[in-house]
Amino acid sequence: MDFFQSVLMGFQVALQPGNLLFCFVGVLIGTLVGVLPGLGPVAAISLLLPTTFHITPVSAVIMLAGIYYGAMYGGSTTSILVNIPGEASSVVTCLDGYQMARRGRAGPALGISAFGSFIAGTLAVLGLMFVAPPLAEMALKFGPPEYFSLMIVGLTILTFLASGPMWKALLMACFGLFLGCMGMDSIMGTTRFTWDIVELSEGFGLVPVVMGLFGISEVLLNVEQAMERSVFETRIQNLFPTRKDWRDSMGAILRGSVIGFFLGILPGGGATISAFTAYAVERRVSRHPEKFGTGVIEGVAAPEAANNAATGGAFIPLLTLGIPTSATMAILLGALVIYGTQPGPMLIKEHPNLFWGVVASMYLGNFMLLVLNLPLIGLWVKVLKIPYPILFPLILLFCLIGAYSLNNNVAQILFMILFGFLGYLFKKFQYEAAPLVLAFVLGPMLEKALRRSLLHSGGDPAVFLTRPISAALLAIALALLLFPLIPKFKKKRPAFGE
Amino acid sequence: MAPFNHDQISAAAWLACGGAIVWGSTGHGLGTMAAPGSGFITFVAGMGICLFAAIGLIEASLRQGKEGGWTPILKGVRWQITLLVLCALTAYALLLSPLGFILCTALFVGFMLRVVKPQGWLVVAAGGILAALGTYGIFELWLKAQLPKGPWGF
Repeated sequence: MDFFQSVLMGFQVALQPGNLLFCFVGVLIGTLVGVLPGLGPVAAISLLLPTTFHITPVSAVIMLAGIYYGAMYGGSTTSILVNIPGEASSVVTCLDGYQMARRGRAGPALGISAFGSFIAGTLAVLGLMFVAPPLAEMALKFGPPEYFSLMIVGLTILTFLASGPMWKALLMACFGLFLGCMGMDSIMGTTRFTWDIVELSEGFGLVPVVMGLFGISEVLLNVEQAMERSVFETRIQNLFPTRKDWRDSMGAILRGSVIGFFLGILPGGGATISAFTAYAVERRVSRHPEKFGTGVIEGVAAPEAANNAATGGAFIPLLTLGIPTSATMAILLGALVIYGTQPGPMLIKEHPNLFWGVVASMYLGNFMLLVLNLPLIGLWVKVLKIPYPILFPLILLFCLIGAYSLNNNVAQILFMILFGFLGYLFKKFQYEAAPLVLAFVLGPMLEKALRRSLLHSGGDPAVFLTRPISAALLAIALALLLFPLIPKFKKKRPAFGE
Repeated sequence: MAPFNHDQISAAAWLACGGAIVWGSTGHGLGTMAAPGSGFITFVAGMGICLFAAIGLIEASLRQGKEGGWTPILKGVRWQITLLVLCALTAYALLLSPLGFILCTALFVGFMLRVVKPQGWLVVAAGGILAALGTYGIFELWLKAQLPKGPWGF
């Protein structure tokens, strides 16, 4: 099947009424969670994962992907109007977006954010369509040693880019690896670390783990704080940017799109780093860098374009190599496995309708977001005003029902509460959960690749070094581990929460 | 001010956790290089936890003298509310089957609305009932999830 036939088939899949509906639901929920501070796409996807078990895998992935990139759109609204980023990736949008709102230019700020996101999202999907298939072809040459080394690189890069001390990120990755390998040993057929608890014979499920770590723990942290927030009272008018606004922003949007797309591909790069990098680049290339932070439109356009383009880029390693680059992607990977679809180089060949359907739905979803965001900004502002004490019981309730409906078992709820409490402690003691989730998802695959490699090589660990691709990947991982030891780069890691 | 900082305490806890994983893994069999056993990868993970926890403990101890202790993590926050929410979640899990979904959910949401930032009784009652019926409609009737029924048949 050639490229254009594939694209056409993708649109045929995405335009089916059911898939269109799930795409719409996904981007709507995504925007909603993006708007609401304290509830991000990771938590939302975790919450809704169990509900997708009743629909087809294509519809499910279309909806979950919609939540992911929809949240990037929604996150900017709170940054601009409340100076509270709905998402970590929208933190930098606060700098100029809120200042624009204070100067009576909330409308153009929201407008350029929506248009910039649309342009960047569309460019990123184009990039995904062109880059993913050849990459998948190349990855077909990978055997277990290459996969093992690739997963090591993925884990290393994520821990390298996680905030806070590196030992914490690596420690969390090791703990995630342990958790992921609990339960049945698929090679020997024995169980590990189950303590005779029947519900643990398959290990901890992805849903209770991520719901607990990201959903419950967030609520536990929020309820112990004073929960007041005020929305900046201003009339939102002139959402369509002026010709001058467009002139000022177009370069920023294009540069942000390119930066976001390529950083999104890198494990751990993601939307947040992309947004910060795009802002920094824009400031550097600007003729008036001193005005950044006072409400310049490029300061909104660049990071918003970058964080949306990054979501498209992030799908490339997931769909072609089966390697998630962030916690959200790790959950999507887990979801694909639950649906009986193994992400990786064979995905495009074995499930072309899924791959091309999801890619085409992202085009449509970006368009829906543009249409949805501009007229509904008034509604999102009202949503922002829902008091958290009313909102959080519903978040908890969705978590509880989601965990229970996995297999109608109360034990899953208890596991989720356990991970919720652990997540709360992790945040208190400043440990990031993202490396844990990534290692949790990759753990079983990594173990299988390692043991198969050793079995085939007769126990010779040199197999990882004698195969060129594997050796190169391990060299990259080692370099990344040693990189922070260089004094020049020692203090460059961001602190926890930055 | 407490005598140890956050990282010293957490790293010590991780060290114990890693040690337990290493010890547990040896019981599952490490196997050989040619045929790694069930406990091999968890053993490696446990060793990794111990190694990084030890690094963290040393680093935090070296930092200790400069920082002069730490502020307890529960200081200045309403930790009692967090505890209540945790208890309510656990109670929900334990009472879900005996009480049934609708009653248990109405009680849970009502309790949450009353406890964190106390709402009026009307909001509590209406919120509890509407949330229970709304989610029942979505999950049981629309998505065909099988939610537990209490002795009253709902």
